[in-house]
Amino acid sequence: MTRIAAFLLGAALTAAPALAQIGNPAGMAPDTRLDEPGKPAPHQTNTQDRLFAQLAAAGGLAEVQLGEMARDKAEAESVRDFAAMMVEDHGAANARLAELAEAVRIPLPQEPAPDQQALRERLEAAERTAFDLAYVRAQVVEHQKTAQLLAWEVGQGQDGEIQRFAAEQLPVVLGHLEQAQRLNAELSGAGGPAR
Amino acid sequence: MSARHAFVLLCAASLAGIGAARADPLPPDTTYRPLPTMPLSRARALDEAQKPQVMERQRALLERRYDLSDQPRQGMMMSGGTKPVQDGVRVKLPEGSSWDALAGMAPAEIREQGLLPQGFLPLPHVKQATGGQVFPELQIDAIAQQEQRDLRRFDVEADLPVHLTPEFPPPIFLTTQPQLGDVSRGELLTIRNYYEIMNGLITPVQMEGLRLLLTPFPQEEFNQTEDRKVAQPSLGVACLDCHSNFHSNAAFHLTPDVRPQANRFRLDTTSLRGMFNQQIHGSKRSLRSIEDFTEFEQRTAYFNGDHVSATRKGVNLPDRPNQVAMMAQMQNIIDFPPAPKLDPFGRLDPALASESELAGEQVFLGKGRCAECHRPETAFMDNQMHDLKLERFYKPGQVANDMVTLPDGPIKTFTLRGIKDSPPYLHDGRLLTLADTVEYFNLVLSTRLTQDEKDDLLAYLLTL
Ligand code: HEC
Ligand code: HEC
Repeated sequence: MTRIAAFLLGAALTAAPALAQIGNPAGMAPDTRLDEPGKPAPHQTNTQDRLFAQLAAAGGLAEVQLGEMARDKAEAESVRDFAAMMVEDHGAANARLAELAEAVRIPLPQEPAPDQQALRERLEAAERTAFDLAYVRAQVVEHQKTAQLLAWEVGQGQDGEIQRFAAEQLPVVLGHLEQAQRLNAELSGAGGPAR
Repeated sequence: MSARHAFVLLCAASLAGIGAARADPLPPDTTYRPLPTMPLSRARALDEAQKPQVMERQRALLERRYDLSDQPRQGMMMSGGTKPVQDGVRVKLPEGSSWDALAGMAPAEIREQGLLPQGFLPLPHVKQATGGQVFPELQIDAIAQQEQRDLRRFDVEADLPVHLTPEFPPPIFLTTQPQLGDVSRGELLTIRNYYEIMNGLITPVQMEGLRLLLTPFPQEEFNQTEDRKVAQPSLGVACLDCHSNFHSNAAFHLTPDVRPQANRFRLDTTSLRGMFNQQIHGSKRSLRSIEDFTEFEQRTAYFNGDHVSATRKGVNLPDRPNQVAMMAQMQNIIDFPPAPKLDPFGRLDPALASESELAGEQVFLGKGRCAECHRPETAFMDNQMHDLKLERFYKPGQVANDMVTLPDGPIKTFTLRGIKDSPPYLHDGRLLTLADTVEYFNLVLSTRLTQDEKDDLLAYLLTL
């Protein structure tokens, strides 16, 4: 991207004050640089932003890796389609998160968290319909956790851009969760989503 | 379950490694309240400087969603006769749409096309990130004057225009003194005047209960620590600071029942009228008695679902056999306002009701299906919670003023007795008039009422 384009993008983001989160200043670090009273200067993260970015990045990596596995390995076409969507959606989100983290120098993990790696090993050992179901059930849990994590960042974070990222991801992740619940219902006969 | 299902389930269970917690838990402040990191004086200065912007953002949201104008309904006052009932549907329609057109569409269509009127969505708190109790100006002024106690927050104020809130102070009706009618003398009950106003009307036990209900104790934003939003270390909040004269002044808060913070929904103060008939309490908590509610409310700092932070601020633990029972007995003698057109079965007396009101009752009992939950014979409740599934009509997860818009799930059926006295409506106060509630339920229940039926139903609701 050229410098001009980057500048325009930045301008577009700051020109949307309606979207800016308004936090509780009591929770800000005492050395927070402020643009206006109570409004942190851009690119200034708090602990929550940094932890969020790291957890979300690890989760995003896991989603792509597991999605790639399931896209090829799953028995049911519906599961393969879902997996392909995970690769695409989370791939795009990971890229965006990486940009945001880069701008504020948050080091991101290069691999999924240990529990996600353990999950991967368990899935590698599974075959056929048992694989499909195990993958889909793990997807339900991962998306549940991610939805809570995103809402946490919306409420407790401080860097407006990262918070906006979380807010944009939230409906998408809830949509994925609903689909994973549907697949689980389809595969196992469990109850589907509420709606 | 088929054999195949059973087999697959077994494999999945062993694969998922059920039983062992292998992952890190989500961060602690997804559940627990963090302590302040900024010195109070600086947090306060920032909050004060930011307040106009906070209020402006909320005003803009309200303006987008509602017509906030002052349009009283001709000849219709609240029960104390001091404030007119507001008229008209106030929720704004999406451009180019009409109520009939929406009612004719399938929920999925409305959802896909994003056509649900925004005013039907959950209403955010003025400042979701902080949340907490927000009192209306009238209450703040009255308590400052009578008790020299400060209910004013330095970071936010109430957001709804005063004509869209209940009359203040509201009348008080006692089940034990029906012949007297309103016994409030037009005053707001406070710790200073309650004895003079109530002596001779209630028992010693009720009197002691009343005293406790009017005694302030440290609560979330109103306490003596640095974790507060009131200028001076505060004496706290009394039960009747929100439930003014046992009714509501439209003070609001965030639900105790949900975490993390951004997911918590707003709660409009409910009236305590008719508690004697109610078996489940709280829109979500379903506490089974007024005693449980009273005790717990006090213990967890009114609504935060957070006994941990309440304890740090100095919690009051009312003792169950004495104090709690007395507070409950006082609340249990608060009656609904009189509804002279209703007979002992909760049905309209044809000799007293107008044609339109009678027609409205038929809609309520029949095509509108209202009475299936708001049962006339049990004070227009059913002591159940129902999931109205509004999310059939919208995509969850959008963020509005820092609140995540999520499905409401099951909510307690509220009584409709005296309903014209308690705007705004629904648990979070998202609907401003009764006409709004008619459109809301017509859509949610797919009852396809005609305009005449809606008008009659509204006329009927006003008789309750
Ligand atoms: C900050 C304002 C506020 C204060 C202070 C407050 N309440 Fe409430 N009260 C509410 C709100 C809001 C609700 C609705 C709660 C819900 O829907 O879950 C409520 C609900 C109730 C209910 C249940 C009513 C129902 O219809 O389910 C009772 C009983 C009650 N309060 C009693 C008390 C008592 C007793 C105290 C003092 C210990 C108290 N309240 C203090 C705002 C307040
Ligand atoms: C399926 C059960 C059910 C039916 C049928 C039903 N309601 Fe309700 N009603 C509820 C519930 C549950 C609430 C509380 C919802 C909330 O707060 O989100 C409620 C709340 C209300 C309120 C607001 C009460 C308050 O204190 O804020 C009004 C007014 C109302 N209903 C009117 C009606 C009318 C009119 C109809 C018929 C057209 C109707 N309801 C049909 C369950 C029902």
